[in-house]
Amino acid sequence: MPILYEVSHVEKTYKKGKVRANRDISFTVQQGEILGVFGPNGAGKSTLIKQLVGHIKPTSGEIRFEGKDIFKQTNRLARLVSYYAQEPHALTSLKVREVITFTGRLRGMPKRAAEREADILLEQLHLTDVQHKLLKRISGGQKRLVGIAAALIGDMKALILDEPTNELDPENRRLVWNLILEYNRTRGVTVLLVTHNVLEAEQVVDRVMVIDRGQLLAIDTVGRLKQLVDQRLRIEVTSRFGEREKTENALKKWGEVIVLSENRLRLMVDKHRASAIVSEIIEQSDAIACEEYKLIPPSLEDVYFHLGGKEALTHGN
Amino acid sequence: MGTERPLVQEAVQPHGERAAEAQHIRQKLNEIWILFRIQFAEIRESWIWIFFMASMFPFSTLLFLKFYTVNPTPEAMIRIIVGNMVFAVIVMGINALAQEISWQKHQGHFVYYASLPISKLNFVLAVFLRGFLTSFPSVVIIAAIGQLIYGIHFHYSFGLIPVFLLSMLACVGIGTMIGFVSPNHQFTNLLAQTLLMVISFLSPVMVTMEMLPKMLQWLSYLFPTTYVANAFRDLFIHGWTHAVTVNTAVLSGYVILSFLVIYRFVEWRVER
Repeated sequence: MPILYEVSHVEKTYKKGKVRANRDISFTVQQGEILGVFGPNGAGKSTLIKQLVGHIKPTSGEIRFEGKDIFKQTNRLARLVSYYAQEPHALTSLKVREVITFTGRLRGMPKRAAEREADILLEQLHLTDVQHKLLKRISGGQKRLVGIAAALIGDMKALILDEPTNELDPENRRLVWNLILEYNRTRGVTVLLVTHNVLEAEQVVDRVMVIDRGQLLAIDTVGRLKQLVDQRLRIEVTSRFGEREKTENALKKWGEVIVLSENRLRLMVDKHRASAIVSEIIEQSDAIACEEYKLIPPSLEDVYFHLGGKEALTHGN
Repeated sequence: MGTERPLVQEAVQPHGERAAEAQHIRQKLNEIWILFRIQFAEIRESWIWIFFMASMFPFSTLLFLKFYTVNPTPEAMIRIIVGNMVFAVIVMGINALAQEISWQKHQGHFVYYASLPISKLNFVLAVFLRGFLTSFPSVVIIAAIGQLIYGIHFHYSFGLIPVFLLSMLACVGIGTMIGFVSPNHQFTNLLAQTLLMVISFLSPVMVTMEMLPKMLQWLSYLFPTTYVANAFRDLFIHGWTHAVTVNTAVLSGYVILSFLVIYRFVEWRVER
């Protein structure tokens, strides 16, 4: 696949070098892929993203888009790369439909094409009912969706989305993930996705990069990164209320048991024995006071915690 | 055949280039129209507040000076009215505009524009238009009310149009520049408020140049408002004079300079 972005030894420092937001980061983004960017708060993700869209200049290093330094083509970059960081505060006095069509037209679309595409996006994002309302008069979640629609309108080569599903309810989050996938699959749009919602992002990303304290910790396919973490499968068991100890004692014979809450337990088992153990749990469910169970393979979330999400590790696993 | 091909290409290429150029110009005109509409939408939303804020201070000062001065000469009356018209421009074109742009900048509004392939020239022009539209009504209102209160009539001429436009744009240019280069919003607030007081009361806006100490006279030459007030006073009393030509030329210089400084030196897309 042709390379869209080439990031070489990028460093970004602030306050005369006292704060290092990005340290010697190098990677490439292939055309047509969906690359997830994960990392804890303050890891330097947004700084890196702003450099990729040409809003911040690196202290050292180089970023190339289609083989050319991005700071020598900022206008072209703005035409080909869409950046979503927040709802469009600058346009709060406009009507929802105007926000989307105006953005399309400012990207160079003819009026009719912009209006046509805006109507499609309004429908896809369930915003048709509020299209004639001022942006400032709709809900926070709807404003986010309008921002996403504004990011999607136009013929873009790449979409750079910083926390696109923040503050959205589950239904709208799914809507956005599906739309991102559709744009990637049908139009071949390359997507860079910064998100904390690792579990949902896992459904859409091809590759993942993990950043912490300004450093790139890992970048690889989801499958390969999962091999980095504990390969044991997790069986999460819900015990009958008040009988957790009974379940806990029974599970201990199959592997390590972690108490998650008053009546929830996690059993870590070797993946080759998982099937047999599940069968036994089903057979003995009454005797061991098991009300419900689920089998969980290693996830991208485990990778995230393993590499960078130290804060979350303490209460997540 | 060998000679025909280049001829055909030559005939086609300039036409293609012309079409592309025309398309580019159309796109840029569309762009500026949309940027104007965005700015206009913001004004439309808050025009009552803008009107109130722009008129309240100059109107109060106008009334205060009416009560305070006993039997003013026609020149003094025109000086007071013009001073308050300029005060209105300072309030909206410099003070409010600088703070509004600075607020937008630090709230991340520019991220939206910076993410689009729009030209900086058009963006700055749209901001200038916003400043013009918010300053314009209060200046006209103060001029009308001033004449009514003092019972005098200005000398009107066509020269008023360029002087009016240049006066607005010169002040709007300063306001825009402050807003764009603002390091933080608190600093912009402080600078804008200080300028409001210094320019309005310590430069020849409400008073004549001779009334001020030498140091303030020299400082006054730095402010476009000095030339705005001079030009208006001369125009209203005598019509177009050599002094008005000089003041107009200086104001043109301010407009061009502020525009060039913003266009050339202010980075709105790339933060270093």
